Amino acid sequence: MGSRSLVVVTAGLGQPSSTRLLADRLTSAAQGFLRDSGVEPDVEVIELREYAQDLTNNLLTGFPSPELRAATADVVAAVGLIAVSPIFNASYSGLFKLFFDVLELDSLAGKPTLIAATGGTARHSLALEHALRPLFAYLNAAVVPTAVFAATEDWGQGTNGGHVGLVDRIERAARELAASMAARERAAPMDLFADPIPFERLLASSADPDGPRSS
Amino acid sequence: MQFGVFSVSDVTTDPTTGRAPTEHERIKAMIAIALKAEEVGLDVFASGEHHNPPFVASSPTTMLGYIAARTERLILSTATTLITTNDPVKIAEDYAMLQHVADGRVDVMMGRGNTGPVYPWFGQDIRNGIALAIENYALLHRLWREDVVDWQGRFRTPLTAFTSTPRPLDGIPPFVWHGSIRSPEIAEQAAYYGDGFFHNNIFWPKEHVERMVGLYRRRFEHYGHGRADQAIVGLGGQVFMRANSQDAIREFRPYFDHAPVYGGGPSLEDYMEQTPLTVGSPQQVIDRTLSFREFVGDYQRQLFLVDHAGLPLKTVLEQMDMLGELVVPVLRREFEALRPAHVPDAPTHASLKAKAANEANEANATAADAIGTDPDVPAVVA
Repeated sequence: MGSRSLVVVTAGLGQPSSTRLLADRLTSAAQGFLRDSGVEPDVEVIELREYAQDLTNNLLTGFPSPELRAATADVVAAVGLIAVSPIFNASYSGLFKLFFDVLELDSLAGKPTLIAATGGTARHSLALEHALRPLFAYLNAAVVPTAVFAATEDWGQGTNGGHVGLVDRIERAARELAASMAARERAAPMDLFADPIPFERLLASSADPDGPRSS
Repeated sequence: MQFGVFSVSDVTTDPTTGRAPTEHERIKAMIAIALKAEEVGLDVFASGEHHNPPFVASSPTTMLGYIAARTERLILSTATTLITTNDPVKIAEDYAMLQHVADGRVDVMMGRGNTGPVYPWFGQDIRNGIALAIENYALLHRLWREDVVDWQGRFRTPLTAFTSTPRPLDGIPPFVWHGSIRSPEIAEQAAYYGDGFFHNNIFWPKEHVERMVGLYRRRFEHYGHGRADQAIVGLGGQVFMRANSQDAIREFRPYFDHAPVYGGGPSLEDYMEQTPLTVGSPQQVIDRTLSFREFVGDYQRQLFLVDHAGLPLKTVLEQMDMLGELVVPVLRREFEALRPAHVPDAPTHASLKAKAANEANEANATAADAIGTDPDVPAVVA
């Protein structure tokens, strides 16, 4: 028994937004499965729209505003991540990418992550596999096998009808995320300020092309 | 405490006139700024080093040598000297030469440089930035302290029986600062050697500056150079002043809005709130600068950036008059009053020479005491 923080990053622009709607459904499903396994999740939702200016400023100045720093710190500290973007022009939205562009190296390394997206029609659904999944693979996130795409028409379909509907995919993805989160050791992120690499090791490893972390 | 100015040497169009200085005008302006620093009673002038337009300061010791001849008191420094892409042997030679030319009024700040293509232009790889800084400085440190050096490393051709000339003035190597905005490895390096640590304090919020300086202080103590609060810390900062703070804001805003480093980003007001940039009256600059002490502790050197973003020389010199007349005398008094007695000043050539002489005397006295005394009773050295 313990708590596990789950951070939800959603890049929807409308109010209300179907991207947020999908994020909320995924979140409550994941919460349910986590509770079933004896874990009480702390959920934090980050609406990227609120950070649009701060993200641009961070790119230009090289440092985050206090509000954006708090948001990225939540993501780094989270045990699990749900990342949801609308699909624009065959890929994630620019706002969604901005957020992941300003994260420090290794922020998502090994982090159980559920990716999801919304779009007008199901023809955009593979953007999850050719755009979001490679992005998170590059960031070394542990992306769960099921990614969830919700086209507009999916919101009008139930679970029956002989095919796997949106509700089923949400359930399956959330179960995978919850299992992955429950199994994950709470890894303290490496903090080189609290625990610096001693100089003798820096000196020895400067001569080593693989660098100090390889020892 | 030492106060001074540091220049990045950018050639930037003045957004209010549309005119950019020529390289020649900019170089002469930097020299005028350095001479002004001495005239108004500042202690330090530091030049950046860059190897790409729009910057002109590719050859700092040439400029600093000229300034040395035109000044009497001013300490000549760098912000920063590229320890990654310069040959450490050439750094050892150039700055020892400058030290002789300037009768010891020289220290050096090491930095890595963050312009990607400069590394391959000088035969290096930016991914090795930290390793280059560590290895090159380890060699430089020896070249200034050992007359004959045998050396082999990863990045440079080996040395056998090499002597770097001239030897440091009076056998005292220039004091070294290590500048880094965000790399804990560099704070660790500065602490290991007992060198100074400088944070430019311009592009980051104070929480980050505090974390970097805090790490350096803690490790300085760990490596036995003194207490954490005795470590040698320098800070940058950027200011623009007018007697009336609203006039300062109005005049500086176009320079801020068009500056290459923050133009198009946050508003001037947000940037002032989130970083140490201070645009306002001299009293506001005094208050803000005194507040730095609250998050880095008592520190030894404060450098101001005043000559960037296309500001005309006349305006820069007015800023320096205000620094010299209205700001720095108050800061000196206030910082001095707050500083505990056990916190040292920044080392200078004179203070390092006196310290070396003291240590030599003590060693002699210890050796003399040891002769004919009970070997079980250690000599007490005051």
